[in-house]
Amino acid sequence: MFFHIILERNMQLHPRHFGRDLRDKLVAKLMKDVEGTCSGRHGFVVAITGIESVGKGLIRDGTGFVTFPVKYQCVVFRPFKGEILEAVVTMVNKMGFFAEAGPVQIFVSNHLIPDDMEFQSGDVPNYTTSDGSVKIQKESEVRLKIIGTRIDATEIFCIGTIKDDFLGVISDPGATS
Amino acid sequence: MSIEPFNRLVKLAARAFYDDITKGDNPSKNTRSDNRGIAVVVLDALTRRQWVREEDLAKDLKLQTKQLRRTLRFFEQEKLIAVDHRKETAKSAKIYNSAFNDNNNYYVHSANGNGNGSSINNGGNGMGDDKVKMHTHSYCCLDYAQIHDVVRYRLHRMRKYLRDQLDDKNKIQEYLCSDCGKKYNALDVSRLISMEDMNFHCERCNAELVAEMDNAGEGAGEGDDNARKRSREKYNDMLNRMEVQLKPLVEQLNRVKDLAVPELGSLQAWEARALAAARAANGGSGGDPRANQGFGTRMPFVGEPKIEVAISGVDDTGGSIAAQNGNEPIKVLPPWMIKQGMKLTKEQLGELKEEPMDGSLDPLGSSDDKKKAVTEPEDSKHVQEEFMKAYYAAYIKREQETTVAASDAHLSSTERLVGEKSKRGDNDDGEDVEWEEEAPVDENTSGNFKVDLNVEAGVSEEEDEDDIDWEEG
Ligand SMILES: [Zn+2]
Repeated sequence: MFFHIILERNMQLHPRHFGRDLRDKLVAKLMKDVEGTCSGRHGFVVAITGIESVGKGLIRDGTGFVTFPVKYQCVVFRPFKGEILEAVVTMVNKMGFFAEAGPVQIFVSNHLIPDDMEFQSGDVPNYTTSDGSVKIQKESEVRLKIIGTRIDATEIFCIGTIKDDFLGVISDPGATS
Repeated sequence: MSIEPFNRLVKLAARAFYDDITKGDNPSKNTRSDNRGIAVVVLDALTRRQWVREEDLAKDLKLQTKQLRRTLRFFEQEKLIAVDHRKETAKSAKIYNSAFNDNNNYYVHSANGNGNGSSINNGGNGMGDDKVKMHTHSYCCLDYAQIHDVVRYRLHRMRKYLRDQLDDKNKIQEYLCSDCGKKYNALDVSRLISMEDMNFHCERCNAELVAEMDNAGEGAGEGDDNARKRSREKYNDMLNRMEVQLKPLVEQLNRVKDLAVPELGSLQAWEARALAAARAANGGSGGDPRANQGFGTRMPFVGEPKIEVAISGVDDTGGSIAAQNGNEPIKVLPPWMIKQGMKLTKEQLGELKEEPMDGSLDPLGSSDDKKKAVTEPEDSKHVQEEFMKAYYAAYIKREQETTVAASDAHLSSTERLVGEKSKRGDNDDGEDVEWEEEAPVDENTSGNFKVDLNVEAGVSEEEDEDDIDWEEG
């Protein structure tokens, strides 16, 4: 789920940036530092949408670096148990398959894949129904439900299921080509 | 549209799901008011009613309003009932009472010619009175369509939950190292994957992991397996018991499946219908003795602008005329009439006399009787707004003429009134009649001319003003 929230961060800026463009430099550095990172608490920071406020800088003893407390608005993405996501399959093995929804990696183990889909090894390992009408392989798009998340300080990993109503392949590159 | 199967559904669902519900956030605190089972009672009561005001329901069930309200809020959240809130005057509430307590939907209200003090006061105070005593009342009724869905959804969720538990559907897969016996689960696999064969390998010994199967009784974790088996049995048992115990409910659902769902509609729509029905009933029972006894039919308000329609019979004084009225079938009030009536009544304080409606609305006080009497024959023929305009025009003209001869007219008015098709303003007593229809009876006809209490003084100028007000309204 996406959220638009306000976060705060202390930015250290080198004295060489002090000048007319200080604020721009600060924002550029903030984006570089923060976008794409993940915090266990808020999820993935997708994008910074605005600067709320920049506090007074504090010069650090000895280095000349200045620390600015910056409040910024950003879009974060955090998966939740029970959430339905659409994801792209990245890897298939006999234990199940991995998929990605943006920055989030999801593993679907084979017992959470419908029973009528069998693992087929080969150059392109895949799960296929007995009549061959549905196939899950690398690059397939699937709709899945998250049934568990493991959230570390810097990583979020999910496990999902496609064994439920309206879940499963939503487009199959193998079938179209 | 049969409502009975759905009522049965409600009763079954009530006993199945709401039997042991205790309302209130802190059930422990008020132990002395144990309201277990109230939910069933309330739902049952609602199956015997349609739209009902909470206070009335509370009274009927001998419950405290607060307690009932809590239960009803709960049902509202459960989507079993529809609720509507409305501001009403104390008077209208009273009318509602008298109207809807009657099982026949035949709303009888005694609007006798003598009138009582309260009605007179209301008449005198005018619309100010309405504004002062506004109370918000809540009404509720069963929402059958939604109940049908809610019950089915609930059953579906119950079954799905139990089946999912049985299937271990949302169980997190576990993996076991066949060499060292270390266990992992699906949340760990991102770091276990080996780039060589794309399979999972043990962190400690790099042996390939195997998925731990449910029925792998042998191997590590027999205690777990037993626990799992027990829980499976438990869920299986629950599922079976559920199917048995809820069988009547399921059967009723199947029975009801293809039936048209009873639709009570919104409170306003329902009231409007009840109103029409009441009128029809009233018309049918034109010869009803009650009509002669000076009973009137009152309808509850429809919508914000208030309408009160009352059939006021004739007082003792006007006995003969009353009889006449009683024999006359009452026409059904067309919808447009209701609207106009509302406006008028609002101006006037809302007491109406209802009788056969001819399309003439006359909210005026009886003091204007003579004038009205003159103009009324015309009125009755007019319909809708056209009528209003024409009427006003004629009326004003008339007024001008009559003002001159006001005093004379006064006296002579009674004669004119007699036998006239429509008379208005028979409010001799300041009675509730605001709205007269076709052949309202004037008490005046009987020779007792009384000044309308609505009008402070019988001065002709004042009357004129009153009339003008009414027109604007
Ligand atoms: Zn190992």
